Amino acid sequence: MSNFDLSEILGNPEYVAMLLLGIKMTFVVAIGSWTLAMTLALLLLGLRYAPGPVGNAFVTAYVSYHRNVPTLVQLLLWYFGIFTLMPDPVTFWLNDHNAEAIFAVIGLGLCQAAYFSEDLRSGMRAVSPGQMEAARALGHSYVSAMRFVMVPQGSRNALPALINHSVSLFKNSSLAVAIGVAELTYAVKEIENLSFRTFESYLLVTVLYLVFSLMIMALGAYVARRADPVRSGRA
Amino acid sequence: MISDIIAIIRDYWLLLLIGQYPNGPLGGLAATLLLSILAIAFAFPVSIALALARLSNSPFLNWPVTALVYFTRGVPLLMLILWGYFLVPLVTGANVPSFLTMLVTLVVYQGAFLSEVVRGGIVALGHGQMEASRALGHSYLGAMRYVILPQALYNVIPSIISVFVATIKDTTLGYVINVPDLTFAASQINNQLLTQPFQVFFILAAVYYVICWSLSRVAIVTERRITRKRAGTASQATAKSLKLAALTDQPS
Amino acid sequence: MNTIAPSKNSPMIALTGVHKSYGNYEVLKGIDAEVARGEVVVICGPSGSGKSTLIRTVNRLEEIGSGSISCDGNNIHQPMPAKELNRLRSRIGFVFQSFNLFPHLSAIDNIAMSPMRVKGLQRDVAYAKATKLLERVGLADKANAFPAQLSGGQQQRVAIARALAMEPPVMLFDEPTSALDPEMVGEVLSVMKGLAADGMTMMCVTHEMGFARDVADRVWFIDQGQIVESARPEDFFSRPQTQRAQRFLSELRH
Repeated sequence: MSNFDLSEILGNPEYVAMLLLGIKMTFVVAIGSWTLAMTLALLLLGLRYAPGPVGNAFVTAYVSYHRNVPTLVQLLLWYFGIFTLMPDPVTFWLNDHNAEAIFAVIGLGLCQAAYFSEDLRSGMRAVSPGQMEAARALGHSYVSAMRFVMVPQGSRNALPALINHSVSLFKNSSLAVAIGVAELTYAVKEIENLSFRTFESYLLVTVLYLVFSLMIMALGAYVARRADPVRSGRA
Repeated sequence: MISDIIAIIRDYWLLLLIGQYPNGPLGGLAATLLLSILAIAFAFPVSIALALARLSNSPFLNWPVTALVYFTRGVPLLMLILWGYFLVPLVTGANVPSFLTMLVTLVVYQGAFLSEVVRGGIVALGHGQMEASRALGHSYLGAMRYVILPQALYNVIPSIISVFVATIKDTTLGYVINVPDLTFAASQINNQLLTQPFQVFFILAAVYYVICWSLSRVAIVTERRITRKRAGTASQATAKSLKLAALTDQPS
Repeated sequence: MNTIAPSKNSPMIALTGVHKSYGNYEVLKGIDAEVARGEVVVICGPSGSGKSTLIRTVNRLEEIGSGSISCDGNNIHQPMPAKELNRLRSRIGFVFQSFNLFPHLSAIDNIAMSPMRVKGLQRDVAYAKATKLLERVGLADKANAFPAQLSGGQQQRVAIARALAMEPPVMLFDEPTSALDPEMVGEVLSVMKGLAADGMTMMCVTHEMGFARDVADRVWFIDQGQIVESARPEDFFSRPQTQRAQRFLSELRH
């Protein structure tokens, strides 16, 4: 192995461009799937609380599938399986619009929605039943009690788990490389292939991942502190 | 569609089960399970050592482990596998089978992960048990060995099963370094058939589902049994175990 | 709707033949009783006698099997739209043993939130009223404190102010001091005494016999799902009529 020299990579505009593109794609996939996951999670949670057994059974099955099948396999099934079963016009359109990235967002988002919705549900279940009673005793309707009393507390309870899972979602964006999305892990393999600087390129990308993950954790800790009325200093 | 799936299973069940063995390395489902079992078996003692180190007052023990934990929490497993593929041969000086590289990486990754679970179990016990043991004259390590760890490890058994499930799912990432596991076998089949990718990956998903779902059920049942057993003694541990569940229950 | 114009002489609360069972276990075995306007009734009895269940049926936190309960002229347990039940509940103040303050809201927000969200009060009006109520329970300086920062006694006083903010003509207390450390019982009881002195109609499940003696107009002694005695406190404490009440009182003194 030649001597350690980061400038071999950072001094090369071509590699830097690859890195930046990788970072951009990682964030497109991570933010896209996070948004999809959170939206779906709220819908799933709504279904859980809907009257009748059908909604609940559907969510149970949804969560069970997405938690018990490896995320990578889910991605492979979407991209190599379901994609090929779609009608031609859809396939053409997707191919014109970065189908890999779209399926990465769909696959990761759907998977993560299962985790987010369960986080929110445990958060809601951790709110003491006395809270609902007190709200009803004051004359709040079910919806009003949910909105002003239960949900603010439930979502706060769910925050630590949501933050943890947001970090793992960010890390899992690296799985998109398996279906050919040109994100950060893809970039590092390319750069390694071209530069033969394995150690340097791995180190660089590892540090990047670590910094971004720590930033998400810090942001999460900040949000959690803001959401905690006692410690936020509003008191 | 269904007849395709049955045909694939009929033609390739042996490949899915044990890979090329005995004409090549052990693969398929057998390799996936062997890899997962070995990984958790080695990661378990590692995790206890790491947890004790992180709980110790010595910065020389405490800091490196804290750094390792944050490192594994912040870096994708895929990157760690690439590191393993690069570093393990450098350290051993020999060409190592990818199975072994993957095993080492998983032990480090899940060891760090599991150490947080074990630490959580110890912290959840509270100070009382340690104080009582020290008052009886036990040394710190003696108290850990005979009083704290037996209780803490018992309480975290369900989380350990969850980590085992996560490990099974993690073994799929071995594809980046061509570990001959179940996913690898499925993509081999897909490459041979070419025309039925949905059917092949559907079978793959179904197999993982059955295994992971069954193990998750075991975890849930164990959890209930343990909760019932210690109901009454450790009510303060419940809030902490809620946080623990969020930690172990990770997508991968 | 369903409202008989309440006259000055009609009772505030009237329970008629109230039965309730959990499966085969009959908790309330036919309760017939009335609480007059401005009256303070203390409900006591051994644990498991059904007294908490009884008070919770009055604002329909518990359903009943048969019988009827009217409060301020409204039949509480008849079929009605959810909206109507919410409106009725907002006119019955309820104080819980475990306070049940909303932990995500400060003391003053706890008090002002429901008048705004349920009754549609203007924000400034709701907060002005909340400030007055906090003064009334002696916690003007704790307006911005969160429940977690308050002692048990302070939390329960905020909970009373929260119930009062809906301007109910009647207040129900379900063991309001049972979860408190002994030194905090007094501050809560004195707020309740002040309410009684102002003429509030009150129904109160409690073990504080001193409070019953000083403040109650009547004591209901409940045992095994029935009102066994209903008497003025001075009569009840000095001359209990039934053996069960005698035994209860003697056990309480020990």
